[in-house]
Amino acid sequence: MKKLIALLLALVMVLALCACGDTKPEEPAGEPAGEPAAEPAAEPAAEPPAEGKVLNIYAWNEEFKGFFEKYYTVPEGVTVNWVITPSDNGAYQDKLTEALLNQATAADDEKIDMFLAEDDYILKYVDSEYTQDITAMGVTDFSSAYKYTVQAATDSKGAVKGVSFQCCPSALIYRRSIAKDVLGTDDPAEVQEQLNSWDKFNAVAATAKEKGYYMTGSFAETYRAFSNNCSGAWVDENNNLQFDPQIEAWIDQTDEFIKNGYTLTAGIWDQEKTDQMYADGKVMCFFGPAWYFNFCMSNAQDPEKGCYGDWAICEGPAAHYWGGTWLLAPAGTDNPTLVADIMNTFINNEEVCSALVKNENQFSNNMKVNAKFAEDPEYGNAFLGGQNDVAVFYGLTDKIKFENHTIYDQLLNEGIQNNLREYFQGTVDKETALANFYKFVNESYPDIVTP
Amino acid sequence: MNERIKKPKRLGVSYAKWGYLFILPFFITYIVCTLTPQIMTIYNSFFENYRRGLSQVGPNFVGLENYVKLFTPDKTGSIDILKYFGNTMILWVLGAVPQIVVALLLAVFFTSYRLNLKGQQFFKTVIYMPNLIMASAFSMLFFTLFNIAGPVNQILKASGMIQESIDFLSLKVPVRLLISLMNFLMWFGNTTILLMAGIQGIDQNMFEAAEIDGANSLQVFFRVTLPLLSPILVYTVITAMIGGLQMFDVPQILTNGKGTPDRASMTMVMYLNNYLGGSKNYGMAGAVSVVLFVISSVLSLFVYNSLSRQYKDAPRKRDRV
Repeated sequence: MKKLIALLLALVMVLALCACGDTKPEEPAGEPAGEPAAEPAAEPAAEPPAEGKVLNIYAWNEEFKGFFEKYYTVPEGVTVNWVITPSDNGAYQDKLTEALLNQATAADDEKIDMFLAEDDYILKYVDSEYTQDITAMGVTDFSSAYKYTVQAATDSKGAVKGVSFQCCPSALIYRRSIAKDVLGTDDPAEVQEQLNSWDKFNAVAATAKEKGYYMTGSFAETYRAFSNNCSGAWVDENNNLQFDPQIEAWIDQTDEFIKNGYTLTAGIWDQEKTDQMYADGKVMCFFGPAWYFNFCMSNAQDPEKGCYGDWAICEGPAAHYWGGTWLLAPAGTDNPTLVADIMNTFINNEEVCSALVKNENQFSNNMKVNAKFAEDPEYGNAFLGGQNDVAVFYGLTDKIKFENHTIYDQLLNEGIQNNLREYFQGTVDKETALANFYKFVNESYPDIVTP
Repeated sequence: MNERIKKPKRLGVSYAKWGYLFILPFFITYIVCTLTPQIMTIYNSFFENYRRGLSQVGPNFVGLENYVKLFTPDKTGSIDILKYFGNTMILWVLGAVPQIVVALLLAVFFTSYRLNLKGQQFFKTVIYMPNLIMASAFSMLFFTLFNIAGPVNQILKASGMIQESIDFLSLKVPVRLLISLMNFLMWFGNTTILLMAGIQGIDQNMFEAAEIDGANSLQVFFRVTLPLLSPILVYTVITAMIGGLQMFDVPQILTNGKGTPDRASMTMVMYLNNYLGGSKNYGMAGAVSVVLFVISSVLSLFVYNSLSRQYKDAPRKRDRV
């Protein structure tokens, strides 16, 4: 009897210990080497009523969650489960990738039903077998959506895998009061006239400095305006890292701006920069799409210290776009009809799209709705002193090109900014900064060949 | 003859098997959770094995290629992994030396019957407190404090000590000092408790005898306490060193995973983590872990031998007592 008890106790202890031991972080042991055994086939319309009761949505921030909860009514009995992981250092992609690779074996209520992706890495997911064709799920009408948003979500075989709920042409956002002081006007057309090339922009920066202002608030403020106009992708077909002249131009400009004190050295999301959006801020120009107003400019909208209405937008020196959130359909979702309905709502439901524009300062992915606002003489954005921002963005959409993308873009864009920042701050020289960037690339992507 | 000797043995009760049975759980857990992954890591380090986008590359056997890559000098002639090992050691020494000195002092004060400090429990709790906070939270706190727009800059500016904000986190020396300070704050309480236990394990007669012989407190400390404490001290130094070599969370959070400035606060494990970031490169990460394992083993042996040889006789005497 005693023996039995001892044996039992020992076993219990072993089992208990083994149960705890599974969470070691860097154990390569249990890694499945290949692709999941079977690709879960999308089966739309086969058994429509038997859909899952849990809708799992993966995202990297709360932006879309807010719109979703406000403008979409989930059918009764379905719980929405948001899995939110910040995107810093690729953490969101890591989590998402892991979940997608395990999708085939996950329980129905654990499967990802929809996930969000940004332009910087959408290609990685779109051009894979882990996302499915949404036209088969019932999203077929893309006539109102902007072409580039559909193109971005289309894989190499022509299947559309997702939709974007926003269109993201990026504008130059300036402080009206500072522009008046520096340029003598705050009228968007006249400001645009004085800032429509990089040469003019750089010259105005010097004037702004003389008057005691900063032209921009971050060393990376103009990065997207340059990087979006690259003539080639980050890596060529032989996987060699390419340094586009546009990136060089960005480095030269930032270098000059920092040496001359035209800009702050803060990072693009840093508090030091956003503090400049208060009424006592000294920065004249910011760059951003419609989502920027709510997502990054809450300081400007602060009722006490902010400067609501003291802003306006114009095209700026180079047309570009920035970001954008796509809703993608993973293979194997157990809620295909619901997911399709959500996608349809956010691109084709004119009521919802109008609400996004009117209430949320968004530039929707519905041309008809945007056109309606752009042509409406009554419409004005109070945050921009009554300017019709939709009309400005509407004019910019034709210039957006979604090209030269690779699956590596996010970490490369993040890496070049982070590593060169040290050079701009004067911590290291340019060669060292670039060498550190190449090291970062080699560590992150063993298949990219660096110079 | 043999038969005769063996027989009584059989009749006797052997408790050995119960002993084995009771230590079995540990060994099974050890084999499953530590030894197997360790062997797998070594095994993996000989393979090319990473992810390109969502597709898997490898595993292809490449022999020692990963190690060759690790030790190939870059254009300036410096070998990355050695630089990161150097960083790790600098960060560790800066934190561990004060940690052990302060902990030793505190342990002696707390255990001294002549000082007989009041409120010991309170102080012990307070010095142990930082260890209860998660390293990442602690690091985040320091990041916020020393941020360019953070309170430290604000206070310095308001008091007129500086004109322009200082970006502490972009300067090599402050970053290294901050990391060491955090590690020191987090671990000196723990070390103090360990050393106190060590000192309390020493026979009080020794101290009394030393005093009767006319030794002053310094002499007692160096001639009695320290030699008799050496087994615990060796243990403390070795565990602190292994912990230090594996330093990760504090610098990772403080520098947002970048090891800024100029990778001067990039530790070995952060370097390892870089390989797991973009492409789940188990081959290279495995090679880094193996190097780290070898370094830890060599250093531990070295510390063990040098510290225990110094006082080789002392622990034995104590054992007899």
